[in-house]
Amino acid sequence: MAAQAIHQFAECITCHAWSPDHSMIAFCPNNTEVHIYKFIADKWEKLHVLSKHDQIVSGIDWGRSTNKIVTVSHDRNSYVWTQEGQDWVPTLVILKLNRAALCVQWSPKENKFAVGSGAKSVCICYYEQENNWWISKIIRKKHESTVTSIAWHPNNIHLATTSTDGKCRVFSTIIKGVDTRGSQGSASADWKFGEQIAQLDLSTTWAFGVRWSPSGKTLAYAGHSSMIYFVEDVEASPAAQNLALRDLPLRDILFVSERMAIGVGFDCNPLIFAADETGLWSFVRYLDERKVTPSASKASQLSEALGKLYGQSRQGSSDTVEPSKPRGGAHENCITCIVPLRKGSETIIKRFSTSGLDGKIVVWDLENHVAITK
Amino acid sequence: MVSSSPSPSSRSRPFLNTAVAADFGWTSPELLLNPVLICRNEAEKCLVETSINSIRISLKVKQADELENILAKKFLRFLSMRAEAFQVLRRKPVQGYDISFLITNYHCEDMHKHKLIDFIVQFMEDIDKEISELKLSVNTRGRLVATEFLKQFI
Repeated sequence: MAAQAIHQFAECITCHAWSPDHSMIAFCPNNTEVHIYKFIADKWEKLHVLSKHDQIVSGIDWGRSTNKIVTVSHDRNSYVWTQEGQDWVPTLVILKLNRAALCVQWSPKENKFAVGSGAKSVCICYYEQENNWWISKIIRKKHESTVTSIAWHPNNIHLATTSTDGKCRVFSTIIKGVDTRGSQGSASADWKFGEQIAQLDLSTTWAFGVRWSPSGKTLAYAGHSSMIYFVEDVEASPAAQNLALRDLPLRDILFVSERMAIGVGFDCNPLIFAADETGLWSFVRYLDERKVTPSASKASQLSEALGKLYGQSRQGSSDTVEPSKPRGGAHENCITCIVPLRKGSETIIKRFSTSGLDGKIVVWDLENHVAITK
Repeated sequence: MVSSSPSPSSRSRPFLNTAVAADFGWTSPELLLNPVLICRNEAEKCLVETSINSIRISLKVKQADELENILAKKFLRFLSMRAEAFQVLRRKPVQGYDISFLITNYHCEDMHKHKLIDFIVQFMEDIDKEISELKLSVNTRGRLVATEFLKQFI
């Protein structure tokens, strides 16, 4: 089994993030709060509850070098939390949105963060020293629908987004005074803030879960028609590979190395994708070996309730229906979030965690998968 | 399922509730997927409509004759009136169908996906079975009543 640890924290988890040293975890149990747990003496203990938002918290990211937590919520605001002694002190970031904020991510240098929203726009937020205030600059007009996912290119400038209009876009987020021009090579220096560098129109339906590979050479995102797209060399001459999945669509993707990616989604089981020497991507297998439990013919709770309403005669015959797909895996419901557990500056990710609608956080280890990590 | 609909009210509502959606001025057709219609024949069909945060499943059950028609109507009305007991059941079916289910993101957060599917499938199977059983018992009863009634003329 690749699942190293399974923790049932809540009924349902919208998103989670790890502290830089992986000793603490922050997650939102599908309400207005963010809970921070720490692993003390072989059990998880609740240390803090960050309650400042008015509606469901939809995104959390924990800065690895700055140790700051950024949270966004359906209440259209964002908070940056700084640890001062024992307490987490919030700073409000006004995003100037008129719809819910949905996802957030620190830039690789952690001097900016990006927020995707239902207002068909993306906010790039940065800290202004003079005013002691977080400023939000909005990229408008390009998206035709809700922004579902965002990903920073390792160069700290390019930002990829996916949207429910089915498109994946790449923007320049260069901000005067925050980013130094020309430091990232000549090609990226010419772009202005908010300029669209590329638009990928591969999916016919909603797109989710965009990610860059560690080097930023490959971009991957998922389409709701059960497709995953790998795009090489996005800026100059994009070359796309479309992979149709046999099973249900994906919600999020994580690159563990240049040649390997993990996809999670409605199948409740992470999928492994790998590229061969020629750069051809293919589906390898499911990460979690599903234990085939002998289907003891027990009807679901709901059908039992139905049986009660029908009268006793129904209950006898309810076992004629085979329960569809008994779950043997670590997750029992749709996985919505995958987060890497990066050690130091290593480029290959060996551990990562997933969370989903079943309220579990599962830590996965690829170390024991000899065939995979090679 | 996500509740990310670009609605003016920041409270998320099932996107498929078109009457409600219209009230709130939702004009995002891209958040609805193409509906899927599964038909056995004109009388037995199933419509599946999908949106960003909800799914609506509408059924039309077999009604071969007048009696089955009445039984189906009465029986499904009985169930629809108790819709809140089933959570995912709608009080009013979509036009042209006998019964509708609306599964929202909240249901998916509370319940397991495969159990929800089980429930719908079980429901479909049981409805057919229930109606044919009811028909049988009505016929038996009718025959019994007729026998009793005609006894006095012997």
